[in-house]
Formats: sequence, C-alpha cells, structure tokens
Amino acid sequence: MTRTHTGLFRLLLLSAAVLAASAAYLLTDSKLYDLRLFAFALKLRLPALAVMLIASCSIGAASLIFQTIINNRIVTPCLLGMNSMYSLVHTAAVFFFGSGSILAVNANLAFAVDLAVMALTAVFIYGFLFKKTGHSVLYVLLIGTVLSSLFGSMQSALVRIMDPNEYDALLVSLVADFNHVNSEIILISLLLLAVTAFALRRDLAVLDVLALGRDQAVSLGIDYDRTVRRLLLGVVLCISIATAMVGPVSFLGLIIANLARQAMKTGRHALLIPCSALMGMLAVIGGQLMTEHLFSFSVPVSTLITMGGGIYFLYLLLFKKEGGY
Amino acid sequence: MKVSDLIKKYEGKTVVDSVSFQLPKGKVTSLIGPNGAGKSTVMGMISRLIAKDSGMISFEDRDLSGWNSRELAKKLAILTQHNNVQMKLTVRELVAFGRFPYSGGRLTEEDETIIDRAIAYMELESFEHRFIDELSGGQRQRAYIAMVIAQDTEYILLDEPTNNLDIYHSSNMMKIVRRLCDELGKTVILVLHEINYAAFYSDYICAFVNGKVAKFGTVDEVITRENLSQIYNVDFEIIRINDKPLSVYY
Repeated sequence: MTRTHTGLFRLLLLSAAVLAASAAYLLTDSKLYDLRLFAFALKLRLPALAVMLIASCSIGAASLIFQTIINNRIVTPCLLGMNSMYSLVHTAAVFFFGSGSILAVNANLAFAVDLAVMALTAVFIYGFLFKKTGHSVLYVLLIGTVLSSLFGSMQSALVRIMDPNEYDALLVSLVADFNHVNSEIILISLLLLAVTAFALRRDLAVLDVLALGRDQAVSLGIDYDRTVRRLLLGVVLCISIATAMVGPVSFLGLIIANLARQAMKTGRHALLIPCSALMGMLAVIGGQLMTEHLFSFSVPVSTLITMGGGIYFLYLLLFKKEGGY
Repeated sequence: MKVSDLIKKYEGKTVVDSVSFQLPKGKVTSLIGPNGAGKSTVMGMISRLIAKDSGMISFEDRDLSGWNSRELAKKLAILTQHNNVQMKLTVRELVAFGRFPYSGGRLTEEDETIIDRAIAYMELESFEHRFIDELSGGQRQRAYIAMVIAQDTEYILLDEPTNNLDIYHSSNMMKIVRRLCDELGKTVILVLHEINYAAFYSDYICAFVNGKVAKFGTVDEVITRENLSQIYNVDFEIIRINDKPLSVYY
C-alpha cells in the first residue's frame, strides 16, 4: 500500500501549492496597509478565485473521465466540439430570444438553459456516436472535429445576421477570460458539481475497471452502455459549468489530465481525479498571476495555457510511447 | 450453456446462421473453422460483447439478457485480445480487478487471499509489483489469466488466447487451459486457429463453416480426414500421437 501513500502525499503537496498560489493571487499588490482598499481588492478577487477553482476542478475531472471512457489519453472533451456546441447554444439563445430577454439577462436561468440543451444534445450525439462507431477513437475524433466546425459555422452564421448590439452583449460570454468571470453562477455551479459528484460517487472504482477496455469491463460485470452514458452526462455537465464560467479553454484539460497521470503513476481514479483538478487550479491561478503581474494584462491567460498545452501535446505525441508514462 | 437458433447479420449478410449447440460442463471446448466462419462472432455473442439478432443463449436455464451483469460476472469470465491498457497497473492490481464483481473495488481479507492464490497459481509472485506494460507478451497473458482465476467463475471464455504468442508461450497457454479445466474444474470455451492445439488440448470441438455448425463432437469424432478436408477445403493427413489425432496439411 506504499503506492497509495506516496499518491496521497503528492496530493497533499499539490494542495499546499494550490493554497500558496491562491494566497499569492489574493494578496499580491492588494494594498494591505489600507483596509478599505484591501477589502475592495478582495471583493474583486475572491469571486474570480472561486470561479477559477471551480472551473479548473470541473475541467480536470471531466477530461480525466473522458479519456478513460474513450480509452485514449490524448483526447479532451473539447476536441469533440463541446466548446463550439456551447457557443452555438449560447448564441442561439441570444439570437432567438434577444439579449434583453430573461434568458440572457438572468445568468442563472441562461446557465440552466445552456446546460439542459447541451446535456441533451451531447448525450444524444456522442452516446449515439460511440455506439455507432463501435467505440473507435479515430472515428469519434474525426466526427468530433467535423461536428466542431459544423457548430462553429452555424454559430458564425447566426452571428453574421445578428443585431450588432446583441453581438456585443454576447461576445463577453464567448471568449475565455478569467478577468471577466461569470461569478453570478458560482452557487448554482457548486450545487451542480456537488450533485454530479454525489451521483457518480460509486463510479470511481468503475472508472478504474473501464480503463481496462470495453471487453474486460463487460467481463467484470459492468453494464457498459448505461455506465458510459451516465459518465458522459457527468462530463458534459462539468464542461458546461466550466465553459459557462470562463468561456472555452481547449488545451487545459489535456495538460492537466496527463500531468496527473504522469505524477500519480496509478490507475486509481480516486487519486487521479483530485490530482487532475489540483493541477488545473495550479495552472489557472499561476497563469492568471503571470497575466496580471508579468505581462500586465497584455497576454490573456487562455493564450498562455494554449501555448503551454500545444507544446506539451507535441511532446506527448513525439516522445511518449502509447500507453507508457 | 445452451445456444439455439442464433442468428447475426451484418449489413444484410448473415455471418451466423441458426447456430445451435450445447456446451458440456467441466470440459474444454474449442471453436474452430476457417476465417469468416463466424466462430469469433458466436464467441462474442455468448460472452455478451456482441448483440445477437435472434435466437436464445440460455445460461443456467435463463436467457443471457435476463441476467444481472454483476451476477453474471461471478459465473462467466471473458478474455479477449483487446487488452491495450492505457495506465500504470501492477500485476497485482490487475489481478485484483478480478474481485470487482464481488466487492466493487473495496478488497476484503478474503479477496486478498484469493488474489494471492491466483498469483501463486500462475507463478507470478516474483513480479507481482511490476507494471504490466514492462512485461513480455507471455507474462502479460499469464497476468490476465490470473485475473480471470481471481474472478472465480465456473465458465471461462477465451478468444484466440494463442494469438501473437510464439510456440513456447502458445503451448504453455494451452497447458494452462488444460489445468484450468482439470485442476480447477472450470468449463473453458475457446476460439482457436491452430487445429492441432484444439485437437491436443480440448475435449470437444465445434467446427464452423459459413456461419453454420459443420461438426460438433468429441475430438476423435470431429478431427477426421474427411471432416477437416470438408471444413477447410484443403487436403489433410491425420496421424496419431499420444493417442490424439494430429493433422498435417500442406
């Protein structure tokens, strides 16, 4: 059981690092000498920090679960066009009901609608795709890429014929940005994450078995189709939460899930998922700190993450043999 | 286990055509036949990895689809060739998965004993803490068999267990199959390409041609010159070694 202990120890170290990063984010340049200024800084930074933590946690968990379902560790839910689907759903809501409608003004309601539509479409499309292609990763990825550009074109078609003022209002929610986070939905997201985690609490061990591949999972008594559908729904929920809060972040999931696998060297999802979530928090807060203080807002954090992610992705493809870590 | 009128079609083409047979308990039965004869598809259907189009597969007098997956996993284990594991797993962790149907990931004392026994039975003690992606093909195959043993099922289904193994590891594999049946009392059903392994190590043989059962019976009943020539469309000679019919083809 020593491997479990080193795993736990590493998680502890990571948590400490996340705490330190959070403190650095809250306290850097926060005018500690003047309580009123400090309170103002906190008022701005606390919700942003909360959003970053929740978003990276959901992305981390979702990416890891998704990789296990597909049985391939260079995929992320974003490669399958879940982000562009989100943009489309969001744009369609504004287009058909207007940015002044309660659907767009009330952040919680807008979120609920996005979520319901996303979950239904994603589970239907992807659930169907996985079955139809016999869970062949290549096909799923190919179709995902095609779907991704399909959703993207539909969205840009809607944007083109949209009232420019409406478009302005819409744009804020479509670009990944940790400076203008959607903090109104913190409560509902937390609630949703908690419900998802509760619903999937028994699936941690099931995920370990799923990683053995479909045949072995069936042999070990897992109701494969139903389990995958349930997990997929969880993935979609997590991705929607993250995207609704900070906009689409494509590479983050890939980096943190793989860093987690590399750091933990285990197949146990009870250790991998928290690790992936913590890695995400560290990456996002670190990136945000760099954006604010090193680049004074000239480079957005999503650019940093995409750059880092791209390089890491190449490294995975070129230097790591399939299956090994 | 009894199969009746099993049918499977792919895009209008019938690959398994009203197949019926009954698998004898406590014996080794091999499914053989030329490529595309439907043996692997039949195997897939009786191991519930492939959905059937029509027909009945009754297992302990109940249709396979009526079984709870978890309960069935305590009776029937499957090992296929698609074992590409994408994570760091030690041999012991892999074998421990065999206990999943019983304890769902939380291993009890009893589970640990059973895992120990399975590892010892496959003589894997010396590398039980090695990662499986560091093992040779033969060792990895033994680790998977140990997992199946830990699953403690009455029935074991093996889909081409000698595929990708050299002669040494293949014949070892077949000896293990024999031991599973003789020493542990398992019913083993396997798909095999090599007729001689089937003839030498199984009790019963089921030969498929064009999606139909061409012959089903004991080794001596099925492995005859006439039968094999008909099944494979090639000339055969049969010689007897150790009182087993071995075939020579050219």
